[in-house]
Amino acid sequence: MAFVQAVLDGLMIGGVYAAISIGLTLVFGVMGIVNFAQAEFLMLGMFIAYFVWAYLGLDPLIGSIVAFVIIFALGIVIQRTLIQRVMRAPAVAQIFLTVGLLIVIENLALLAFGSSFRSVSTSYQTSSLRLGPLFIGVPYLAAFCMAVLSGFALWLFMDKSWYGQAMRATAQNPLAARLMGINVERMQQLAFGLGVGLTAFGGAIILPYFTVNPTVAEQFVILMFTAVVLGGLGNIAGAVVGGLTVGIIQSVSALVFPIQLQNFVLFLAFIGVLALRPHGLIGASR
Amino acid sequence: MKSWLVVAAAIVAACALPLFLAPSGYPIRVIALALLFAALGQAWNIVGGLANQISLGHAAFFGLGAYTSTLLLINFGVSPWVGMLAGATVGGFAAYILSFPTMKLSGHYFALATLAFSEVLRVLASSWASVTGGPAGLSVPFAPDSLLMLQFKSTLPYYYIILVALIAVTGIFVWIRQSALGYRLRALRESVDAAEVIGVDTARAKVIAAVISAALTAALGVLYAQFTYFFDPDSVFGVISISIRIALITILGGVGTAIGPIVGAFVIIPLEELANVLLSSRTAGLSQLFFGILLIAIILVQPRGILVLIKSGVNRARRGKTS
Amino acid sequence: MKKVVSSSAKGLSTTRRQVLTLGAATLAMPFVTRAWAADPVNVGVILPLSGANAQFGVNSRNGIELVAEQINARGGIKSLGGAPINLVVADSTSTPTTAATVGQRLITQNSVVAILGAYASSLSLALSEVTERREIPLMTMSFSDQITGRGFKNVFQIIAKASVIGAAQFDGTAAIAKGAGQKLERIAIMYEDTAYGVSQAKGVREAATKAGTQIVMDEAYPLGITDVTPLINKLRNANAQAVFPMSYLNDGLQIIRSMRQQKISLPIIGGAGGYVIPDFRKALGEYAENVLSIAPGNYDLAPKLTEDFRKKYGYFMVHEALEHAVCLDVLAQALEVAKAREPAAVRKALSETEFKGGWCDAMPGGVVKFDQTGLNTHAVPMMVQWHGDNLATVWPDNLAKSKAVWTAT
Repeated sequence: MAFVQAVLDGLMIGGVYAAISIGLTLVFGVMGIVNFAQAEFLMLGMFIAYFVWAYLGLDPLIGSIVAFVIIFALGIVIQRTLIQRVMRAPAVAQIFLTVGLLIVIENLALLAFGSSFRSVSTSYQTSSLRLGPLFIGVPYLAAFCMAVLSGFALWLFMDKSWYGQAMRATAQNPLAARLMGINVERMQQLAFGLGVGLTAFGGAIILPYFTVNPTVAEQFVILMFTAVVLGGLGNIAGAVVGGLTVGIIQSVSALVFPIQLQNFVLFLAFIGVLALRPHGLIGASR
Repeated sequence: MKSWLVVAAAIVAACALPLFLAPSGYPIRVIALALLFAALGQAWNIVGGLANQISLGHAAFFGLGAYTSTLLLINFGVSPWVGMLAGATVGGFAAYILSFPTMKLSGHYFALATLAFSEVLRVLASSWASVTGGPAGLSVPFAPDSLLMLQFKSTLPYYYIILVALIAVTGIFVWIRQSALGYRLRALRESVDAAEVIGVDTARAKVIAAVISAALTAALGVLYAQFTYFFDPDSVFGVISISIRIALITILGGVGTAIGPIVGAFVIIPLEELANVLLSSRTAGLSQLFFGILLIAIILVQPRGILVLIKSGVNRARRGKTS
Repeated sequence: MKKVVSSSAKGLSTTRRQVLTLGAATLAMPFVTRAWAADPVNVGVILPLSGANAQFGVNSRNGIELVAEQINARGGIKSLGGAPINLVVADSTSTPTTAATVGQRLITQNSVVAILGAYASSLSLALSEVTERREIPLMTMSFSDQITGRGFKNVFQIIAKASVIGAAQFDGTAAIAKGAGQKLERIAIMYEDTAYGVSQAKGVREAATKAGTQIVMDEAYPLGITDVTPLINKLRNANAQAVFPMSYLNDGLQIIRSMRQQKISLPIIGGAGGYVIPDFRKALGEYAENVLSIAPGNYDLAPKLTEDFRKKYGYFMVHEALEHAVCLDVLAQALEVAKAREPAAVRKALSETEFKGGWCDAMPGGVVKFDQTGLNTHAVPMMVQWHGDNLATVWPDNLAKSKAVWTAT
């Protein structure tokens, strides 16, 4: 029974990890860049949802949509002004540009918002549902549902809409896509905006059970990267599976190992996958 | 010939400088730290510059050196000089082990793997408290001034030891670059496949470079521990405070060049201090912000570093004069 | 001016001007004298003003600034001729090396007579390595056992050490439970895995073992934990009578909320950290009610003094602000006793004097006295409990301002 509860909890939190990680893998898939600053957008999304709650009184689940829209726009701007310029540069330039972006965003947030931890109070924060002997915390369930919805929306977009298909074409073969008349630069902007917007969305939906502060990003970096690597960098479905897997690993390993080592197990899995199957447990090569 | 003279003059100047500074003062401490980070950047330069393997996890070796030496000192009273040899061995060995899973990785994947490795060590150091002292960190046991035990009250002796370390690491860097190994690394930097075709054992070359770089970084970790007398898992295995800073220094100054890390360190460390002095008490984060912006600016304008920027600016001015 | 200084050979016509000018000069004398009376005494303040601990660093700085203002308003250090206290505040950041370098800077560039700082044990430990070697007194409320455990002569810790605080966390709880008719037989311990959590947990563990209480759960968790459900699952299955979490704010809030979701209503005895700041109550509202915690100090021991803080800054005087305030007041008293600005003289005064009065009233017993390891021997941790918006001291009985509420069924 404890095992079943652990798996259930892992699924709930894994859904959120998936929502957060999809953005990272999307960016890599379409642009070939690992955005080291991705987790900072999670923090921004959390702050936006917080302020929407504090000044407009709206629940963070609604605030998450606002967060998505704002960060989507911001993402496009960043892509056009900064990332675009290193698209053809060597890896070292790309890596350090996003690292620089990480430092800038975190410290701008620190200057603008101060260092205190802020949290929201919602009516359902301390409620839970019972399924026989099992518990599901309501904020976790709500976040999970929103994550599933966003995943579904993304799937619809990528599969059914022209833009989605164009993006997938760009991911597969930029040259061929360009020859087909697709504006590759615009697809990259869209992908980046969508990617960081989704991560911001993910940050907003966990606000009910988390506290926000400019340094919060570093707690999610390794989780995001592990989820993405497990599923294969660039593989969206893989990121979903990867996110769920990370959640379950974290939750189940706590039954056996000390909780202090939960991330240790993840790191080992991370290095292991990179070593043995760099294209992920799921992914075919991009 | 001319470059030898310049180098010799620089070394003489560096030796003479402390004579004008208070031996336990603040400026000499800042310069000593800059020298230490220049040496660290130079060690990173061996893999980052010569082999183009962007490691974001060099803190792993730095921390391994610091912990190995200090634990030997605390538990067995072993001199930190011996500790340095031990640390270098452990660091080099760790790089050797790490090279197996990362052999086929490059670019972004490689960076991620090295980052994960240093994080594994950090978590380990933090949780294995019975061995490593856990999150509370380790203090170097207080001892009277002694060269044997590498501990001094004043900063002056440390300055000279670190200076010697910097010269040694730079020497090794230059030697590798001009050697057969350097040639092979240059080949695989351009194209791994082409290098393999002409018979270069790229795997071996990469591993040798990595092991040397790691061993040097670990030895510098020992110097750091003896200089600051105290460290904890976050200070020696820190991603931003060590790994990224080392790489940043080298890139800013000019990755792949011998003088790059030195220029980078002497720009960044004093600037950081200045920013701290001027800005810190009321506006936290401003100095860090400044560095993030500087990094982005350098990458966008001249990814090959400040030196190239200055040189091209000088060239442009010179050309302007003659035309 | 020249006309005044002219010889009286000019005769009586200049006398009135002379008298007037002389009179004006005499009136101006006190102001002129005060400006020249004594150079300010530089006191270094090194705290984390950025990074994860910034909130606590800012609180601490506020406490110190309040006391500095009070001291200067009544004329500064009298035995040094009315020298005002000049705070030199610097950000230690969250890196121990930076804290040490900053300390070095304040000692050599600003000639500080002593340093207050640096809240977090790892920062204070690094800083103390510099202050000890330069023989500058360091006053701190960091409480890792290591701080006073190295035989240093220039470290002065104003509160009890971690193992003592941890032991009191258990003993105080056992006493309160006993008062409500319950014997503690099974407890759960959970703690964040940095120096604070680990060293305090050790204290709780040892006290519980000594009392024969069974520890049914003993888990460290990573400070940046993103999902506490596995932790709370373990708690639910552990069948404990009370839970002792040692957390900062983010993890503390997650723990309390998660416990409520799973309908776990055990008595909660926090380990200070995030459990004793206003944000805790603000975030949890009614769920903060009756949460107990150990605390090294509390504002209701001296409401007359601590009310000034609330008036100036808008929130009650959190313990780190209070303890730093006491440090500055003790330092000022030491300066008065030493009658000199040399750090060595100040150090001697700090280690030999028994300090009373002023802000010492806010410490248990109203007395501060450092032993040869630098520990304040009169410091005694206390149990506090949330009653509404207030944090009330409930144990030991000689310090309690309110009765403890024990919420076990």
